[in-house]
Amino acid sequence: MLVSFNWLKQFVKLPDSVTPEEVADRLIMSTVEVEGVKKQGENLENIVIGKVVSEEKHSDADKLKVCKVDVGNEELQIVCGGSNVYAGMLVALAKVGAKVRWHGEGELVELQPAKIRGVESFGMICASSEIGLAEKFPVKNEKEILDLSFSKTKIGTPVAKALGLDDVIFEIDNKSMTNRPDLWGHYGLSREVAALYKKELKKYQPANIKPGKGLALKVKIEDTKLCRRYMGVAISGIKVVPSPDWLQARLLAVGQRPINNIVDITNYLMFELAQPMHAFDVRDLVGEKEDEVEIIVRHSKDGEKFTTLDGVERLLTAEMLVIADKEKTVALAGLMGGLNSEIKNDTTTIVYESANFDPTVVRKMSQTLGLRTEGSTRWEKNLDPNNAEFALKRAVELTLELCPGAKIVSQVVDESKFKLNQGPIVVSLQFINKKIGVELKGKEIKVILERLGFEVVFKNEVFSVKVPSWRATKDISIPEDIVEEVARIYGYGNIPTTLPIAPITPAVKNKLKDIEREIKEILVLEFGFSEVYNYSFLAPDLMNKIGLSLEDHLELANPIAKDRPYLRHNLWPNLLENAENNLHRFDKVKLFEIGKVFVGEKPGLRVSQNSDELLPRQDLMLAMVYAEKNVAVPFYELSEALSGLMKRLGYDFQLESAVNNEQKDLIAHHGRGATINVSGVVIGAIAELHPVAQHNLGIESRVASLEINLDKLLECQNKSLNYRRLSDYPEIVRDIAFVVDKKVEHANIVKKFKKVDSLIVNIELFDVYKGKNLSENKKSLAYHIIYQSRERTLTGEEVDKVHQKVLSVIEKEFSGEIRK
Amino acid sequence: MNSQLGKIKQEFFKSLEEIKDVLQLEKLENEFFSRKSGKMNEVMKVLKDLVGEARKEFGILANELKIEMEKKLAEKKQELNQEKLGSLIQEEEIDVTEPKLPIHEGGHLHPETKVLWEMEDVARSMGFIVEDGPELDSDYYCFEALNIPKTHPARDSQDTFYIKDHPEWCMRPHVSNMQVRLLQKYGVPLRAAYPGRVFRNEATDASHEHTFYQFEALVVGKDINIGHLVGIIKELLRGLYNTDVEVRLRPGYFPFVEPGFEMDMKCLICHGVGCGACKHSGWVETLGCGLMHPKVIEGAGFDSKVWTGLAFGMGLTRLAMQKYKIDNIRLLQSGDLNFLKQF
Repeated sequence: MLVSFNWLKQFVKLPDSVTPEEVADRLIMSTVEVEGVKKQGENLENIVIGKVVSEEKHSDADKLKVCKVDVGNEELQIVCGGSNVYAGMLVALAKVGAKVRWHGEGELVELQPAKIRGVESFGMICASSEIGLAEKFPVKNEKEILDLSFSKTKIGTPVAKALGLDDVIFEIDNKSMTNRPDLWGHYGLSREVAALYKKELKKYQPANIKPGKGLALKVKIEDTKLCRRYMGVAISGIKVVPSPDWLQARLLAVGQRPINNIVDITNYLMFELAQPMHAFDVRDLVGEKEDEVEIIVRHSKDGEKFTTLDGVERLLTAEMLVIADKEKTVALAGLMGGLNSEIKNDTTTIVYESANFDPTVVRKMSQTLGLRTEGSTRWEKNLDPNNAEFALKRAVELTLELCPGAKIVSQVVDESKFKLNQGPIVVSLQFINKKIGVELKGKEIKVILERLGFEVVFKNEVFSVKVPSWRATKDISIPEDIVEEVARIYGYGNIPTTLPIAPITPAVKNKLKDIEREIKEILVLEFGFSEVYNYSFLAPDLMNKIGLSLEDHLELANPIAKDRPYLRHNLWPNLLENAENNLHRFDKVKLFEIGKVFVGEKPGLRVSQNSDELLPRQDLMLAMVYAEKNVAVPFYELSEALSGLMKRLGYDFQLESAVNNEQKDLIAHHGRGATINVSGVVIGAIAELHPVAQHNLGIESRVASLEINLDKLLECQNKSLNYRRLSDYPEIVRDIAFVVDKKVEHANIVKKFKKVDSLIVNIELFDVYKGKNLSENKKSLAYHIIYQSRERTLTGEEVDKVHQKVLSVIEKEFSGEIRK
Repeated sequence: MNSQLGKIKQEFFKSLEEIKDVLQLEKLENEFFSRKSGKMNEVMKVLKDLVGEARKEFGILANELKIEMEKKLAEKKQELNQEKLGSLIQEEEIDVTEPKLPIHEGGHLHPETKVLWEMEDVARSMGFIVEDGPELDSDYYCFEALNIPKTHPARDSQDTFYIKDHPEWCMRPHVSNMQVRLLQKYGVPLRAAYPGRVFRNEATDASHEHTFYQFEALVVGKDINIGHLVGIIKELLRGLYNTDVEVRLRPGYFPFVEPGFEMDMKCLICHGVGCGACKHSGWVETLGCGLMHPKVIEGAGFDSKVWTGLAFGMGLTRLAMQKYKIDNIRLLQSGDLNFLKQF
């Protein structure tokens, strides 16, 4: 919101020594966020109102004109390219020495006398964008110069003065006052400034309206919840003309384009009191009888069409609230008036509306219709119904002042049903001081609150605080709210900084957080995997490519775009997508992610403490993906990292083959997959992607991924690390190679070997061979078998004896054929 | 006899001088000391024909000569070895600026993880429990328990993702859903930090994401006041930036705190003078904070007349972007290795 410093000063007298910047800073620290302070008329020195006396075509340039411009004390020759220049026009004339921005772009440039195509020019006739007035006077086409013919000031008057540009404008961040409906008008902000500077706030006392006769104005509110008050009055003898300069200046200062006196008055009140108003042309309102107007506040009808002031036809629903007469809708409550009843140049009798609408209905309408107005922005904040009366009185006062022939021709109608919770709030002195952390005196607090308009009784160290109506709609209802008022005016910067007294105890450890960090460190530092963060959402396109069923997944009711509506069950699908993207630029991709997944069919935490409804289970998962050009079996690259990881974490794990030729789905490679088991519990799976899915994803090489449920892993016992005494006696290594059926598992072989004798301390696989010279269903394995005793140096004979047993295990248990 | 020894000696030293490498030296050694045909051994055979003084004298002389020769041989060997190893230096010269090939690409932590860990470590060092909770949570924990009424704009589907067929479930729009959850789990007094992933129904561009990270923390105890709020946050920021920081409170509005504040930190780059990093204001908007609303404390099942609290939260994603000067928020969830490689 834009705020005029002059307007504020209308209600608070501040010493001249107080600068606008200072006021802005005080407001920032205690009230709202002022994002900028801009002086009007900055850089407008030497730019004056000039009158074009004559214009002739430039003899040497088609698009240029040579003008004579009267600037009061002299006549200047100016070469001008403006398409709309005409003799008699009032223009913004920049004299030599003035600063302008050529074509509204780049840095400011100081004007010098110039010769343009041989013709001398002593200044410039400016476009609004060239002198920083584009916001006020939008440029319609590039060659258009600023037409100030509406100005009534003397020729030669500085433009800044002629346009009343002596104001300073605050830009206030709307978000910083969403909870303060009272601050959306200048009077409310003035109240804050007055409290901060301990100055008096001028009372807002417009004259009472003397009711008139001639028109029977009736108001009927059909839904008093949504329309809490509706005030109206009819005035005749109106002459619709432009507003006087002072009024235009006020509106221009806050970024509003003046329209005509009546519309400007309603806008003025919106910016002064934060009371959006509306004016209807009485000719367009139909009542029972000739001299009667009945205004009905009601719900609209589903499918009703209505054209607003801006000429847009809008489709209404039954939830919306409209203003109507006997026959038709004439305005959208709180949003915008209708084209069918707007103020026109020949309007003579009007009805002012000063009402109070429910914030939610206005917000919902605004959202549904995609129409946000200055009015709706204010209604959303929940405005004080009492303001309706002040605003109507002031509007009538202004109308009578601006239209000398105007006359009130109706009663002042005031239909209302509202109750504000103004307290009193009872709060002790001790409570306030304890919450702030200071020792303020009761009297100090009383003064602060009273300056803000609270009525305070202080007795027996307890305050009884009556909340002013403008703070009672939303903002202030509990003792803590009073604490805030006191603290912010006292000054947050004056509160001493301390630390609370708390026992020195260690925080409860979170094992899930701890293991998450440990895993990340191991994977990054030791195994060279990089961490990615992916969205929690899945795209149906990706799911289809890898054969995931859409129905199994929870779905967003309102996804941003239709591209990612499903909640992930697993992390690996998005990781595969990452792999695909990166494989275009990298030969090797090693990625992992740790994150939560959402599984609807499994029970999670409670929806609330006393509810039996459960949220979907949201376990923390680790997923990894590995793909490398020319690596035929990335499964092993990944299982190696998995072993290393589990070893560091202290978990014994087994891979149990999930090889299954019956399986028909196309997600995992059914010949290269395994479940990951820790103490008999399946905690995850590792597999290569099915070649069909891989092909669908557009990945050229085989790609392996794994996923582990970390919540489940934590439930498993990890072994404590125990040191094994070093043996003083040497190891003896025997190598064996043998051919077995392809289906014989390495893990099984190791298990059986270990059982042979306790002298076998280690078994290492060092070669696997399939292919040439072996039949198709066979493989050749080679192991180092390491023998060692803790008591003695082993003799060759001793080892031979055990080794013989190993050989017989191969032959008997695995039908292996020893290679010699 | 002496002349025989003299001759050997002369012959040995002459040959020794001509030695160029270890091979020749071995040959020389053989020539004189070989058991079968070494010249010294040959000479020693004379000994058995001698008797008395002459035998004794010859023995001594021969032994002395042998020792001397062996010593010279050892010296020569040492000399030759050093020469040989010394000459390797030039042969083995390398370009020290070449990398090891093939180039090994290590792994990388996500930049947000790095910043998250820094924050977590500071919080832990101050005795805060660090814990995360459900990202899909109920309307109750996300809004109701936080004093955000049904009509509040934050509940609009424009701002929050809801779950199809479960109107009471949503993707949490802030980590504040953990406030009541943690109070119910651990009771009071409590110090807890709960960073995590949050979701907003917002179109993405270079500075907006629908998924990002927040860091929030709360302290619940008896008689918690505004001074404590400032004190604790200052300590946390001091821990994070490893330097004293200056902060200021401004009014701010969040439904689950009362009073609520925005906190600015004096710009660490220009120390408040004004620079590009602080948009020439001298202050950097750092976090939102406040004293916990009594309804939140009550909602968690505690008497708000006895138990009071403070809470503060900041955008972790924004912090990471500031720290690493990342200008496009969408990179963070792009999975692009070219981006991730830099951290």
